[in-house]
Amino acid sequence: MLSQIFVNSIVAGAVYALLAFGFTITYGTLNFFNMAHGVAFTVGAYLCYVFRILLGLDLPWATVLAVFGTSLIMVAVDLLAYDRLRARRAPSWAMVVSSIGVAIFIEAVISLIFGSDTLSLRTGEVRPGIAVLGAIITETQIVILIVSVILVALLTLYLKMTRMGKALRAMANDPEIGVIIGIEPRLTYMTTFALASGLAAVAGCLVAFETDVYPTMGHSALLKSIVASIMGGVGNVGGAVFGGLFLAAAENFGVWKLSSSWQDGIALTLLLLFMLAQRSKSMLLGK
Amino acid sequence: MDIVFHLVIMSGIYMILALSLNLLIGYAGLFSVGHGAFYGIGAYAAAILSTRYGLPFWLEIFAASAVAGLVGYVLGRPILRLRGDHLALATFGLAVIAFSIFTNWSDLTRGPLGIRGIPKVTIFAFALEPLWSYAVLVMACVAITLLFLWRMTHSPFGKVLEAIREDDVAALAIGKNITRFKVVAFVTSSCFAGLAGVLYAHYATYIDPSAFVTAESFLVFSMVIFGGMGSNLGSMVGAAVLVSLPELLRFVGLPGNIAAQMRDVIYGALIVIVINWRPQGLLGRARL
Repeated sequence: MLSQIFVNSIVAGAVYALLAFGFTITYGTLNFFNMAHGVAFTVGAYLCYVFRILLGLDLPWATVLAVFGTSLIMVAVDLLAYDRLRARRAPSWAMVVSSIGVAIFIEAVISLIFGSDTLSLRTGEVRPGIAVLGAIITETQIVILIVSVILVALLTLYLKMTRMGKALRAMANDPEIGVIIGIEPRLTYMTTFALASGLAAVAGCLVAFETDVYPTMGHSALLKSIVASIMGGVGNVGGAVFGGLFLAAAENFGVWKLSSSWQDGIALTLLLLFMLAQRSKSMLLGK
Repeated sequence: MDIVFHLVIMSGIYMILALSLNLLIGYAGLFSVGHGAFYGIGAYAAAILSTRYGLPFWLEIFAASAVAGLVGYVLGRPILRLRGDHLALATFGLAVIAFSIFTNWSDLTRGPLGIRGIPKVTIFAFALEPLWSYAVLVMACVAITLLFLWRMTHSPFGKVLEAIREDDVAALAIGKNITRFKVVAFVTSSCFAGLAGVLYAHYATYIDPSAFVTAESFLVFSMVIFGGMGSNLGSMVGAAVLVSLPELLRFVGLPGNIAAQMRDVIYGALIVIVINWRPQGLLGRARL
């Protein structure tokens, strides 16, 4: 029982980490809570469905195309929905409002195109999981783990080593000085959006293999990214990964004792407690 | 004709929600995207008080609003110290937690089954059975809400709220207890959201958690943004337009389920357009 909870926590934590990674770099560089982050997750899953089931591509190709497609769409959204606000130096809540609009819009468009029903990405029959140390783990879950670990490692290296990665971190640190030393702000913002939504799309595809695809699947993805990144200290990449794992563990151990429908309630209560605990340091007055 | 009264009633309920949220967003600068939580609390309080304890309507309407206000006080005290987008995130959290409680605390709320058989309103032996009479009651409540909020925002109290919105450090420096002002505004707003919940519960006669999802909070939020932050008239127009939109779309020939999704497409796009190109909304004052 305990080892099963452990396995479930690690797998869910890996997905949450991918989501929170994107949410947190968006907050770091663009300085707003992107309420449309969950929608990137949904778009990724639906594009995967389109490429895999409707066009019949192989799974890896379908996933890669879905991820790039999502990044492309979200960069376009960035130009349409946030660029003007940034140019006007609008306060961050205006960006939050705009992202709520984006989330509602894209979700409604998806249900207009595909209908509100659940779609399945599964083609073959369901294979039984493998028993490891008294816990059952499915092949998809192993893929989820491997992909997440590789991606998080690669992106951490990217942020640390490459020129663009350093530019992203510089803009997160101080946008004005970033511009003075010659960083092209728009390019860094677009890269951030592409990375963040690409990661969310990967998470969307991975979850879609395991469960199914439906228009509101992004809601809980958004919740998890918010909670995990706040717990890890928003803007902190390592913290996002830790937050994701911690959240998954808290949920899975909580569900052990309570009914599983309390999951979101548990997560958001944790969020409020963490926000109130952090407030005394950084949010007392001003940013 | 019934459809017109139905729209009047639903618009009225959302007008109360939008007006009370406007007090927070437009006047106090408190970005709450969790207004649906208090709407739901009011509705559940009304349902439970009337079906289990048989409270008369005139007493229950105060009791249920007070419950919403009390919860607003208990939650508002701690979270109102958060600012700007952090407050928005925390109130979003409240909406999710409220939904989770409505769904899971089965002993109190009967969970996903919902509460059935909420009685139609009777005021001093007058049964408000015909739809038009209920529409009159709802509109009377809208008028009371508007009057109350108008008086509140056009008083010295309202001026301090606006000062807090513009520059809370300055308000603090001239000796205003900003936390107290924020809490009073939050509690007032929660009470009126609760009132809207009461009206909804007695109109629908059946409530379940699906009426109080986070999307509901976003809907009210966008009514205020669309109507124009800080304009009471704007909030009312925003509520009426967004409530009537699906009916209008059905009227021009879209089937029901598509009309609902079309409304979401339109109002999602409206939010982005308004905040980017006309941040003062329909009738608000220019800012940003």
